[in-house]
Amino acid sequence: MAERLSPLGAAFRPGMHGGPGAGPGVRLSEVTPPSIMEATAWPGRKGALAEAISAVTGLSLSARPNAGAVSAEASAFSIAPERFLVCGGAELPARLAAAITIETGTVVDLSHGRTALRIAGPRAEWVLSKLFAVDVAPAAFPVAEARATSHHEIFAQIQRTGPDQFDIFVFRSFARAFWTMLCDAAEEVGYEAAG
Amino acid sequence: MSPRRARSGGLIDRGRAISFTFDGKAYTGHAGDTLASALLANGVTLFGRSFKYHRPRGVYTAGVDEPNALVTVLKDGVREPNIPATLLEIHDGLEADSQNRFPSLDFDLNAVNQLGGPLFSAGFYYKTFMGPVMGPLKGTRFWMFCEHFIRRAAGLGRAGYEKDPARYERMNAFCDVLVIGSGPAGLMAAEAAALAGKRVILAEQEPRLGGTANWSGETIGGVSAADWAEAMAEKLAAMDNVRLLARTTVWGYYDGNNLAALERVADHLATAPRGLPRHRHWSIRAAKVVLATGALERPIVFPGNDRPGVMLAGAAMRYANEFGVLPGERIAVFTNNDSAYRAAAALRKAGAAIVAIIDVRQDISAAARKLAEEAGVAPLTGHAVVGTAGKRLAKISAQRFDAATGRLSGDVRPIEVDCLAVSGGWSPAIHLASQAGGSPVWDEKLSAFLPPEPTQDWLGAGALTGAATTAEALSAGRRAGSAAVGAEAPSSALPEAASPTLDPFPAPVFEIKAKGKAFVDLQHDVTADDIRLAHREGFVSVEHLKRYTTLGMATDQGKTSNVPGLAIMAEARGLPIDRVGATRFRPPFAPVSIGSLAAETHRHLKPDRLTPMHDWHVERGGRMMPAGLWHRPMIYGELGETVEQAYIREAAAVRRSVGICDVSTLGKIAVKGPDAAEFLDRVYTNVFSTLPIGKARYGLMLREDGIVLDDGTTWRLGEHDFLMTTTTANAGKVMQHLEYLLDIVWPELRVHLTSVTDQWAGASVAGPNARKVLEACITGTGLDDAALPFMGIVHGAIDDVPVMICRLSFSGELAYEVYCGAGHGLHVWEALVEAGAPYGIVPYGLEALGTLRIEKGHVTGAEMDGRTTARDLYLDWMLSKKKPFVGSALMDREGLIDRNRIRLVGLISLDGQPLGGGAHIVEKGSLDDLGASIGHVTAFCYSPALQKYIGLALVKGGKARHGTRAFVSDPLRRRFGPVEIVSHHFFDPEGRRMHG
Repeated sequence: MAERLSPLGAAFRPGMHGGPGAGPGVRLSEVTPPSIMEATAWPGRKGALAEAISAVTGLSLSARPNAGAVSAEASAFSIAPERFLVCGGAELPARLAAAITIETGTVVDLSHGRTALRIAGPRAEWVLSKLFAVDVAPAAFPVAEARATSHHEIFAQIQRTGPDQFDIFVFRSFARAFWTMLCDAAEEVGYEAAG
Repeated sequence: MSPRRARSGGLIDRGRAISFTFDGKAYTGHAGDTLASALLANGVTLFGRSFKYHRPRGVYTAGVDEPNALVTVLKDGVREPNIPATLLEIHDGLEADSQNRFPSLDFDLNAVNQLGGPLFSAGFYYKTFMGPVMGPLKGTRFWMFCEHFIRRAAGLGRAGYEKDPARYERMNAFCDVLVIGSGPAGLMAAEAAALAGKRVILAEQEPRLGGTANWSGETIGGVSAADWAEAMAEKLAAMDNVRLLARTTVWGYYDGNNLAALERVADHLATAPRGLPRHRHWSIRAAKVVLATGALERPIVFPGNDRPGVMLAGAAMRYANEFGVLPGERIAVFTNNDSAYRAAAALRKAGAAIVAIIDVRQDISAAARKLAEEAGVAPLTGHAVVGTAGKRLAKISAQRFDAATGRLSGDVRPIEVDCLAVSGGWSPAIHLASQAGGSPVWDEKLSAFLPPEPTQDWLGAGALTGAATTAEALSAGRRAGSAAVGAEAPSSALPEAASPTLDPFPAPVFEIKAKGKAFVDLQHDVTADDIRLAHREGFVSVEHLKRYTTLGMATDQGKTSNVPGLAIMAEARGLPIDRVGATRFRPPFAPVSIGSLAAETHRHLKPDRLTPMHDWHVERGGRMMPAGLWHRPMIYGELGETVEQAYIREAAAVRRSVGICDVSTLGKIAVKGPDAAEFLDRVYTNVFSTLPIGKARYGLMLREDGIVLDDGTTWRLGEHDFLMTTTTANAGKVMQHLEYLLDIVWPELRVHLTSVTDQWAGASVAGPNARKVLEACITGTGLDDAALPFMGIVHGAIDDVPVMICRLSFSGELAYEVYCGAGHGLHVWEALVEAGAPYGIVPYGLEALGTLRIEKGHVTGAEMDGRTTARDLYLDWMLSKKKPFVGSALMDREGLIDRNRIRLVGLISLDGQPLGGGAHIVEKGSLDDLGASIGHVTAFCYSPALQKYIGLALVKGGKARHGTRAFVSDPLRRRFGPVEIVSHHFFDPEGRRMHG
């Protein structure tokens, strides 16, 4: 089957850009996983939903607001009350759909609808703070947690996937515009665009 | 050595010379200089011409309160006017120009305004130009005549027309404590909060942290105050829970402890490194704020108080101590309080001669007397300055003065000076505290407004709260910093501060009334007489006074003029100052660049929203046009084609054979859950619960008030699984509408909504050969009428990519919408184009799409314009009578069923000329007689199917007018011509082609 095409097009320019010169402040890359699912529980069923997601992905996902979990193969995080984004391999949609019954909630396949962009490196918090009114300090935004926010017209769901690493999920149609803006914001500290 | 640079002293880097120009003339200064200090050091005293009278003006302060020395900075081909020279750090290559002078600063033609005297007094413009026309010299007509000349002469700096190439950015910050001001109080507060482990931001508007410590000449903790501040700054900088923001003016205090600040990141650099913004707008959310904003000195108002060489005493002291610059060689001091004696001593120490200290008070403190001795002069108490002389200050005159009565007596005594340092007391910088909420409180003894009781989470420390000494500031700062984080104060001993024990209270003298222009607001040229005139003319409210005289409304926002102005008004009204009232402060504290507010959107107003096939469209010559945030192809023009020729060719190709159109932008919403069908029955006017799985249905939505909201098809993919499509423009609005209904109106319905607009790429393949094209590339499904009837849905694959195909038509042709995962969109599109090659498949854009739909009479946003009902659009067949739905309760209101409403019709141009969107329809008229409108054109095109210019219109009576004639009246485009009103179903009204 044809490969899923990146929405970044020519805006993706691999290599080092901008910055004062002493190594990149951040590394930017597209990390859209093979499958992205939105799973939503009926009121009062969020715990059951989190359990079902955990069972399928092997993550241990809590039902707390902003909660998330990350492993090498999968990740999941809260994006709204009763709502999670779940990422994983190609088999995820079918397995998740089977595990989440209509009594628990619903799942929607967004594997093509969302694009994940990663910002990593010592200046990731700084660059992210230019674009989002979100407290990104580790104490306020621990690893695996997530925030649903926006940059003007662009919705963004952000999961901290490492001490200095964030994955930003945006609508695919905005991915190129957002990537360009991210590169622009990172120019001050220098960035490496990598595949 | 520059003529006015002291041989030693100051915090400037004497080892680093910096070259710059002022009015084209080259000067040198040192690293650490402002333009003001560097020019003063070069003996320059004339900085600009005043606003109204074009009087020569010098530098008056040493900081953010500067009303006079405003310059224009020329950088990267851009001119930025009205920058205070006192805040402008020099750098190599800096180019600055003086303002408001022609042809030159020394010789200014408009200085003739000075002779006009009362001509430009308060209310001059109102009195001269407002009101009815009475004779040739009065009234608005006269204003219109004079405006051009006045506008040329008025104003201060001149903005440029060049595009600003600079980068601006925004930064969001969160902290436990924001400390504003880095004087001794601010430094102590930041340290105390930081030692408690809290996240601290310390903002300082100057480049160097330390505030008054940099020029007080005192000692703190046994070392010079400046060294102490530097050590504190280094200590704080080393803590990773502290962020120091120098060159950062906190200018707005908003609700919820949100504060706005402007960081001047690169203004002081000759060239900014790539990617570094010029300004950074900080949006700071602080749990607590410590205001340590200090106090601003204010002048005494007396005749000639604006002459170059007159400046505030604290400023003169700062130039000597921080910059090693003497503002004069023979300096006199004029004061109503003790603080100016410190200036006198400091200036003497730096090498100037203090020729007189003129004090309005009869008695002064012992500490002040001692400082006078250090300055080498016996104070002239019970005296006041009553005049000045010289283009640059050469002489002042003093006279005996009674502070209790304000009366002058005795001989006028001339004193030769080249600088007069004035102090009228200190006003706490309560601007941010006032912005935070509450009324400032007048303190009689300090003759000053103190900050209001906090209504938000802030604490004050230091001179802001009226503290008079550094020792008080140190202890109050530490207390505030600890209290802000709820911690015990650090146990270490407070650093000791040695300063003379001066009398903190000034004599309440604000003005010396003598002959001559005495300025209150130097930047706006408002005199004491202007204020009294305003009072005589009936202005009693301080708010009205301000607007009438423009007192305090210049770029300095009256930092030096508010209190004296108020005092003069109070005296005129015979009231105490606190009864006259104070104007509250509002943001910004200091001017803010518009670029910093636009921040990252400065170069990029809105994001581009692109479909998966965007690059293909562009490569194939698609002329892209905006549709909301989306970019959509308007036409795919061929060489030499006009837009009209292109869309006619594209539309004709669809009717003749087959075309393909990118419909990925349609809004798509997944509607899922056990109650999904019930939900759709409620939100659509027609029934969806009866829709079988694998079928689609056209649906119409109304607003609560019965007006049409949107239309689209909704596909049933499973028992509990629907895919709703909306128009491109209304996708967001419909989503919000539905979410609102689920959250607020029917929370009991188990339905989930997800925007899947971006999940699917969509291609519409339309035309008599559409099926053949699909059959050439599809696998896994049949496409004949049995397998895929009209409004049916099938699943299959194109070139191994899974697709979902719905047979529906917007063009009126046999047509299919082919959906696939967006990441496969280009792949499938190219496969379809390849499969269509034998049939001459043509990609078509929005213009052709519009043409095809106009020929069919299908409505879009142009007709669903937020004013039309389903009946207006002849869609009443879609209004179910079997069930209620959103809008059903209100859609039959009298006004909505009125037979005279404008309703949908078709138009045919009878003169072979195009119609114009928005043009009116009239029953009679002419090119110059517009006629009475009976409706308007909503859409038009040249119809290749009819070979005529046609259009859709909303016309009074609608159908009843079919077969009648009218005129299109379009005065904007000078168009008037005959039309025939017909059915909006122009082409194939029976729909044979799409069922074919």
